Amino acid sequence: MELAKYSALARISIGNNLVYVKDFFMSSLFIGIILFIFIQLWTVVYGTEAEVIEGFTLGMMIWYLVLTESIVTSPGRLIEDIGAEVQSGTIAQHLLKPYHYLLFKYVTTMGSTVLRFVMTFIIGALLAFFFVGGIKVTLWSVPIIILSLFLALTLHYAFMAAIGVMAFWLEDAESLYLLYQKTIFVFGGMFMPLDIFPAWLESVSKALPFSYVAYYPAHLAVRFDVNEAISVVGMQIVWISVLSVIAWALYRFCVKRITINGG
Amino acid sequence: MGFISHIKLFKEYLKIAVATALEYRANFVIQVLAMAFNDAFLLVFWFLFFDRFKLINGWALEELMILYALLTLAYGIAGVFFGNRSQIPKLIAEGKLDFYLNLPKEELFHILISKSSSFAVGDIVFGLLLGAYVLTLSQWPLFLLFVVISTSFVVSFGVLVGSLGFYFGNAEETARTLWMGMISLSSNPFSIFKGGARIILLTLIPAGFVTGIPVELLKNFTWSWFGILVGAAVIFLLLSIIIFRRGLRRYESGSMMTARI
Repeated sequence: MELAKYSALARISIGNNLVYVKDFFMSSLFIGIILFIFIQLWTVVYGTEAEVIEGFTLGMMIWYLVLTESIVTSPGRLIEDIGAEVQSGTIAQHLLKPYHYLLFKYVTTMGSTVLRFVMTFIIGALLAFFFVGGIKVTLWSVPIIILSLFLALTLHYAFMAAIGVMAFWLEDAESLYLLYQKTIFVFGGMFMPLDIFPAWLESVSKALPFSYVAYYPAHLAVRFDVNEAISVVGMQIVWISVLSVIAWALYRFCVKRITINGG
Repeated sequence: MGFISHIKLFKEYLKIAVATALEYRANFVIQVLAMAFNDAFLLVFWFLFFDRFKLINGWALEELMILYALLTLAYGIAGVFFGNRSQIPKLIAEGKLDFYLNLPKEELFHILISKSSSFAVGDIVFGLLLGAYVLTLSQWPLFLLFVVISTSFVVSFGVLVGSLGFYFGNAEETARTLWMGMISLSSNPFSIFKGGARIILLTLIPAGFVTGIPVELLKNFTWSWFGILVGAAVIFLLLSIIIFRRGLRRYESGSMMTARI
């Protein structure tokens, strides 16, 4: 019964988003522009440097970037959405409903996030095929890669939920969004694999939870290794749990302080 | 319609923007810092990138830093002084341009100046600091001239994509996408683009004129490219005004009664 309630919410969210096909197309076009830039940049780098850089061929690098872009950009501006509800007090409307706000947000967001991920990935894959061709992926690794990508999107959500609720104190959700987004861009490995960083920064960035949002799942997809897959999925679950607890605790604290002045 | 009266109006809007920032001081400071950090983070990527690869088709970290100083200053000035450009498609779609049309001031100018972004102040702060770090004293006069030219391109492009609303109904998402595309394209080394891409960046989406050409001119000045840059800036500015005015003829009011507080 509980599960049916949340899966119905996810279905409604997907349906709502399909209505805005033009918006979807436009955001995918933007991703296309970004990937085009990356393809140009890395083609020049590989043309002047070497055929393989830190274990990545040009093809692997571009497919890696297609995946990190798809993961990071697909949830939209969730921090600002949650932040706006927290700050304006409209979050109070959810308190009356028979669901937990953060779970409600999770299923409705994941519905549209997965849809956007697929669309972005298709656009990116077409561009990647056109410019650098395909890469080798063993069939049996695909379910594990998909699992890791799904966990990455969930971890991304948990981060944004926790930060969004923090807008209750910090007032400005857009600032928080900008800072989180850029942290993922650089230290999460969205712009380039962490292996290219100087050694000390590489180990620091790999140890931080941001790397499990972008770097590790994309790395797994282009350079699959069973041992790494087990450790990545395990760590993703650990970080999702940690961040969920933080988001839940922050939310509880925030809800206790909400004052509702009549209707 | 005099020039002086428009400058006075500009000053009044600036006073309002300053008063608003002072009223919500903490928020203002947070937004300025957030944007400056945002820019710094992006530059960190390029530090790491050039730490590993040194040279990208003749561009090194120094060129990239000049690019970022120019980019953040141009977008920052556009955001602070002409911050309402992002609202143009929305104002058109919702039929809310009436307020500007009923007043004896040039409509486009009035629309653009009637909102200021606090975040953009962060861009200006970052751009000035980075410029002070990377530029020599003798480069500053030309750099400042390029800031003016780049700002003109940025604002013209904002008006052009915003005016799509006159022709396509709700063009908010389209305008935003093209705008973001322009920012992304102008924040990368121009030397990575070749052939057709370069032509697009010097015509349809003039990102190459916002940063690429000025940075290359600062390193290696040629009168011919300088002339092309200035000429293109004038053409884009005029084009944006013409397209906006033509579009305005197709505008349908929403007859909405609102109070501007």
